[in-house]
Amino acid sequence: MHDEESGAPAWLERLDHPADEMIRVQAASLPELFERVAWAMFYCITDMAAVCPATARDVQVNAPDRDALLVRWLAELNRLHHTEGLLGAQFRVLQLDATGLRARVSGEPMDPARHTLHAEIKGVTFHGLRIESTGTGWRATVLFDM
Amino acid sequence: MTQKTEYLWEIPPTGKMRVPGRLYATRRLLDRILADNAPTQVANVATLPGIVSASLAMPDMHWGYGFPIGGVAAFDIDQGVVSPGGVGYDINCGVRLMASELTEDAVKPHIQDLVNRMFAQIPCGVGAGRGIKLSAAELADVATSGARWAVARDLGDAGDLTFIEENGCIPGADPDQVSKHATQRGTDQIGTLGSGNHFLEIGCVERIYDPTAAAVLGLFPGQVTVIIHCGSRGYGHQICDDYLPRMDRAARAYGIELPDRQLACAPLTSSEGQAYLGAMRCAVNYSFANRQVIAHQLRQVFAATLNLQADRIGLRTVYEVAHNIAKIETHQVDGVERRLCVHRKGATRAFAGQRDEVPPPYRAIGQPVLIPGDMGRYSYVLTGTAHALQETFGSTCHGAGRALSRRGAIKAAGKRNIVAELAKQGILVKSAGRRTVQEEMSEAYKDVTDVVDACEQAGISTKVARLRPLACVKG
Repeated sequence: MHDEESGAPAWLERLDHPADEMIRVQAASLPELFERVAWAMFYCITDMAAVCPATARDVQVNAPDRDALLVRWLAELNRLHHTEGLLGAQFRVLQLDATGLRARVSGEPMDPARHTLHAEIKGVTFHGLRIESTGTGWRATVLFDM
Repeated sequence: MTQKTEYLWEIPPTGKMRVPGRLYATRRLLDRILADNAPTQVANVATLPGIVSASLAMPDMHWGYGFPIGGVAAFDIDQGVVSPGGVGYDINCGVRLMASELTEDAVKPHIQDLVNRMFAQIPCGVGAGRGIKLSAAELADVATSGARWAVARDLGDAGDLTFIEENGCIPGADPDQVSKHATQRGTDQIGTLGSGNHFLEIGCVERIYDPTAAAVLGLFPGQVTVIIHCGSRGYGHQICDDYLPRMDRAARAYGIELPDRQLACAPLTSSEGQAYLGAMRCAVNYSFANRQVIAHQLRQVFAATLNLQADRIGLRTVYEVAHNIAKIETHQVDGVERRLCVHRKGATRAFAGQRDEVPPPYRAIGQPVLIPGDMGRYSYVLTGTAHALQETFGSTCHGAGRALSRRGAIKAAGKRNIVAELAKQGILVKSAGRRTVQEEMSEAYKDVTDVVDACEQAGISTKVARLRPLACVKG
C-alpha cells in the first residue's frame, strides 16, 4: 500500500486540521512556490510516483491579488482534475505577477489501473491562507475542504 | 467566554463583533472545543453585517473554514448578507432515514448480499461518476424540481416528498446562475454517493426514548432502517467555488470588512447575493434529487435481495434533513416576526410541530432530526422543539463531530484491520478504499451520545430513538 508520508518532500508539511487538509509549502521563489503548492495538492489526491508528465497544457488564471491568485490557480487545477481526470505531475510557471499567472502543467488523465485516488478536494479555501516571505524564500499555507 | 447556563457559553461582543457568540456545549465538550479555532470562527461570523441575535454553534462544533462546522447564523433579509462560506462546498449535504417493515432477524442472513448489491448498484468513492446521465436541459430540470424530478420519472414514491425538508424542492432555484463548469460536473453524478464521510447504513432501532414520538414516526424496537448521507456532489462544490471570487469582489464593492476571506459575502438584496441564492438552490435541489434516486435504488436492492414485494419491505421515508444550507425563514426575534436568511453549516433545522414547514403527520411531535454518529456505534433520531425556535432559529447539531483529523485517524489505525474489527462487533463494512475506513473509524469521532445529550439538555431537541448499525457502505 502506498505510504504517503514517506514520499513527502522536505519542503511540504501537512498540518493538523480536524476535518480538512492544511498544507505548508516552502520555496526559494514565488514562481516555485506556486509550482510546489500545485504539486502538493495533487500529492494529497494521489500517489505522485505513479503520475507521468505525458502531456502538457497551459493554464491561465487571473485574480485581484496574490492570495486570490493562488486560490484560483489551485481551484482551476482541481476543476480540471474533476472534469477531465487530470492528474498533474509537473508544473512550470511561465509568467507570474500580482494578478495573473500562466503555467504549463504536465500530467496525464486518471487511469484507474495505475492511479489510486486517496481523497477528493471539494474546494480550495481562503481560510488560514498565507503567502509569506521568509527572508530566504517564500512560504504558503493553504486549507483544502475535503 | 462566560457561562450563561449549564449548556450555553457566550463570547461577549468585542472589537467588530456586532452580536455575541453563543456556544452550546457541556463542560466536557467545551474543553475539546476550546482546543481548536471554532470559537474564533464563531466570533468572526458575529462581525458580518445584518447578523441577528447571535452567532451560534451547536455542540458538535469544530474548526471548519470560514464558518465553524456546527455554525448557525441568521441575517436580516434587508440589512444582512448571504455567504457561501456559511453553506460550504457540499451544498445541501444531508441525511435521509428510511424505515422498513422488517426486523433485524429477517435481514441479518441477507446482510452480506444486501451490502454487495448496494455497493455494486450505487456508485461510491473518490471521483465516482457513473450516475444517471443528464443533458443540460434535464439538469436544469433537476435544479428547479429537486426530488420531484426523480419521482416524476418513477424513481421513488410521491409520498416521499412530504417527508423531505422543503418537500424535496426549494423554490427560487435559477439555473441561469450556474456556470457551465458546474453543469459539466453535474451531468453524471445523480445517484452517486461520493466519498469522505458519506455513507449508506443499514441499521436497526436499538432503543426508544420517546414512545409517543416513535409511534408517530412508525419506529419500533428491532426495526431495520436505512440512512443515506450524501450531498450535491461536484455540482455543488463547483457552484461554491464559482461564487467565492464573485462574493469576494462583492464584499469589497459593498465595503464589507471580512475577518476571514472565506466569509466572503454580499448583501441579500444585491444582484450578487440573489445570483448566489439562485445557484445555491439549484445545488440544494440537485442534492434532494440525488438522495431520492439513491433511496429508489436501495428499495430495488432490498426487493431483489430479499425477493419480497415492496409493501413487505417498506423502506418508507421517515424524514430527510439538510445540514449545509442557507434558507429564508420567518422567526420571532424579541417578540417581532422577522424574515431572515438562516445559514446552517453543519447544523440541522429542528422546528417544533407548530411550524407550517413540519409535515402535517408530525405536527404533534415536531420535525424529525437525524443525527448520524459513526459506523461502529449508533445514530439518533431526535425532534425539534419550541425552545430551539426561541434560541437557535430552530437549529440543532448534525453529527458527532470529528475527534481526530483524517490523517490522525489513519495514524491511529496503523495496521489495524478496522473492517475485521467491526465485523467482530456484527457490523459489516464495505468501502471503495481502506483509507476511507480508517479515516472514518469510530475513534475518529466524538461519541454522538455526548452531543445529542447536550442538545437535549439545552432544550434544542428531544431524543426519540437510537439506531445501531448493522452494515455500512462507505465512499
